[in-house]
Amino acid sequence: MQQQGGEGKEEEPEAPAARKRPGAEAADGGWALGVVFHFFLVNVFVIGMLKTFGIFFVAFQEEVGGSSEQVSWIGSIMSSLRFLGAPLVAVICRRLGERPTSVIGASLVAGGCLLSTQATSVPFLCVSMGLLLGMGFACLYQAAAVMTAKRCRTRLAFSNAIARSGMGLTFLIAPFTQLLIDFYGWQGTLLIFGGITLNLVPSSMLLRPVSTQPPRHSPAKNQDRGSITAQQESGTPDGRLDKNAGREIQLRSAQDLPTTEGDRMARGRDASDPALEGLEKPPLDSCSPEIATEAKRSYKSLPPTEKENSQPLLDFSPLKDPVFCIFTWSFVFSHLAYFVPIFHLVTRARTLGISSMDASYLISVAGITEMVSQLLSGWVADQNWTKKYHYHVAYLVLSGITNLLCPLATTFPLLMTYAVAFAIFCGGFMALVLPVLVDLVGVQKLHSYLGFAAFFAGIAAIGGPPLAGWLYDYTQTYVCSFLFAGACALISPISFFFEPSAQKWKLKKAKLNNGPRCG
Amino acid sequence: KNITLDRAARVELSCRLDKKYSHLKSLQVTWKRGNETIRHINKTENSWSIQLRILDNSKLGSYSCTLKDEEEISAMFHLQVPKIEGKEKPIVSYEGDTAVMICNSPEYTPIAWTWYVTNGSEQIAINDSLLADKYVIDRISANVTHLKIQKLTKEDDGVYWCEAAFELGKSKGKLKLKVLSLMVPLKPFLAIVSEVVILVTLVFLYEMYSKKKEKCAEDEREFDQVEQL
Repeated sequence: MQQQGGEGKEEEPEAPAARKRPGAEAADGGWALGVVFHFFLVNVFVIGMLKTFGIFFVAFQEEVGGSSEQVSWIGSIMSSLRFLGAPLVAVICRRLGERPTSVIGASLVAGGCLLSTQATSVPFLCVSMGLLLGMGFACLYQAAAVMTAKRCRTRLAFSNAIARSGMGLTFLIAPFTQLLIDFYGWQGTLLIFGGITLNLVPSSMLLRPVSTQPPRHSPAKNQDRGSITAQQESGTPDGRLDKNAGREIQLRSAQDLPTTEGDRMARGRDASDPALEGLEKPPLDSCSPEIATEAKRSYKSLPPTEKENSQPLLDFSPLKDPVFCIFTWSFVFSHLAYFVPIFHLVTRARTLGISSMDASYLISVAGITEMVSQLLSGWVADQNWTKKYHYHVAYLVLSGITNLLCPLATTFPLLMTYAVAFAIFCGGFMALVLPVLVDLVGVQKLHSYLGFAAFFAGIAAIGGPPLAGWLYDYTQTYVCSFLFAGACALISPISFFFEPSAQKWKLKKAKLNNGPRCG
Repeated sequence: KNITLDRAARVELSCRLDKKYSHLKSLQVTWKRGNETIRHINKTENSWSIQLRILDNSKLGSYSCTLKDEEEISAMFHLQVPKIEGKEKPIVSYEGDTAVMICNSPEYTPIAWTWYVTNGSEQIAINDSLLADKYVIDRISANVTHLKIQKLTKEDDGVYWCEAAFELGKSKGKLKLKVLSLMVPLKPFLAIVSEVVILVTLVFLYEMYSKKKEKCAEDEREFDQVEQL
């Protein structure tokens, strides 16, 4: 029977599969575009609102009262919750799915904006604008990022880069906000912003659930084989064609998973498992309900074991994973290295005697270069000439060197060269953060990993600006911040050198765990 | 040169000749205020100065020193009270809401602040004890004054003046208040919300349509399988 099944699979009616393949793939491609578009919008709105908070700052201070420090708390809560809320959002995402989470996030943001129009005191604003908006941003961001990773398997880096280029467009939002404030006052502006962010609700609906193919450590291969044969027995030879076709597609999509050695090993054992997994979940590209019911009937044995394998709700396992430590180390330091120079570039230009018009020109050129380099780096990484994190490491090292050389730049052309070089390398490594994480961890556990990584990055983000300011106060020159950023950028890739050994360690551990079970 | 005085003081104004003109021999120096010439000029080697006791508003103004030889060189001194800056952009607020207008005199401390509202072409002082539930004038600190206008209506829209009284005179700053009705920002908001609702409905409809299509296709396939049996 096994052989029968094997043959059936081979002669495998290329016909029905071929009929389905272009259709399914086209549909998949369309939905992937939708997801990228949604992520793009999320980037534009989230980063745009964070950046334009400075404009609201002045209005809040005058009309609502409160000292400068109190009002700036609102901004800090908003931007830090975006990262710190990530683990909680990861839990919600796994429970509810990405689409509902994203809709919740969008409504939180819109609701927060609307509520803030009624604000009369700073603590009120802290909660309504800071808390609600921050959590909303976290929800939106996490859901969109993970959905992109799930949907765009092959071209993840490029899609990520396209979505991130939304950040480059945020420079348009600032003058727009100023115009709105002049026209409608800050309350009217917040009202209109609430409406605009409500637009994220229909775009979140583009995040259609995808049947993921988790490479699980299966309890026993025999059970799987048994189920496949049972399945093949039921139904006619022709009917079988369709089931095979369905399974073929699941297998193919399982193969598309970005894998590292660890995952490959797991997959080798569970070639059949993902297919069955896929058939069991109610996916878009599944065939007749017959197969689904057959599959469910045939392995009553599997569900209990799956429950064992399913992750607990608040999954702390990433914290014990060496790969996670590697990634987070690099993530935190690269974030520090990214934000500090941006804060201080303009002020350093001014201390060197460059006019503020020219200084803002520096920033805009840097922004555009970064956008372009993100796209390029994403495209290059997708070509898979070498592992993605090699590029990541290369960009980080180069950006570190650039930062260390920055103090030598004392005239406008030199500063411009520095800005362009910095933007190129920063764009390069920023675009690769998500793909590298997906490479290291796989899509299934992405939620918890991304959640915790964002949490630690959030701690760095809170500490970054005050640290930079303190550096300036201590050394009375901006040179130190650039040296500091360069040092951070050079420290962060160090952890990646441990990646191969970490993977081997993981493999050994997994083999030990599964040794006694193999029958 | 502009000199700002907020209180009575003794001022010495001097005009000094630059080195490149020291070759000029016969120089006639005149200090004038408007058309009036000032007599007591203290002369030193290269400078001519006058001393003024500014006690009240009448002494403020523009003073000039003119050096006449073949050419005429002159310098102007403007003695004035501190200027109060109003706001360029209008303050936008909504009906029924409260608006706060702030006037600040950064370097010099005025003796008193008064607020005026422009009614037609007249300026009427705002008496906050008279209309206590409408206007509240707060002197937050010595240099800053707040005018809080509560329960705004359309009639409160217009130009306001904050006047700072110094020992030597008064100076005004201009502020504009714009009162909007709630409908004004609500219209674009409702437009956007309706657009969102339309999009959401479209997406829903599309999903239901595609589910139906799948179900039909599945039913067809089931039918085929049954037939082939």
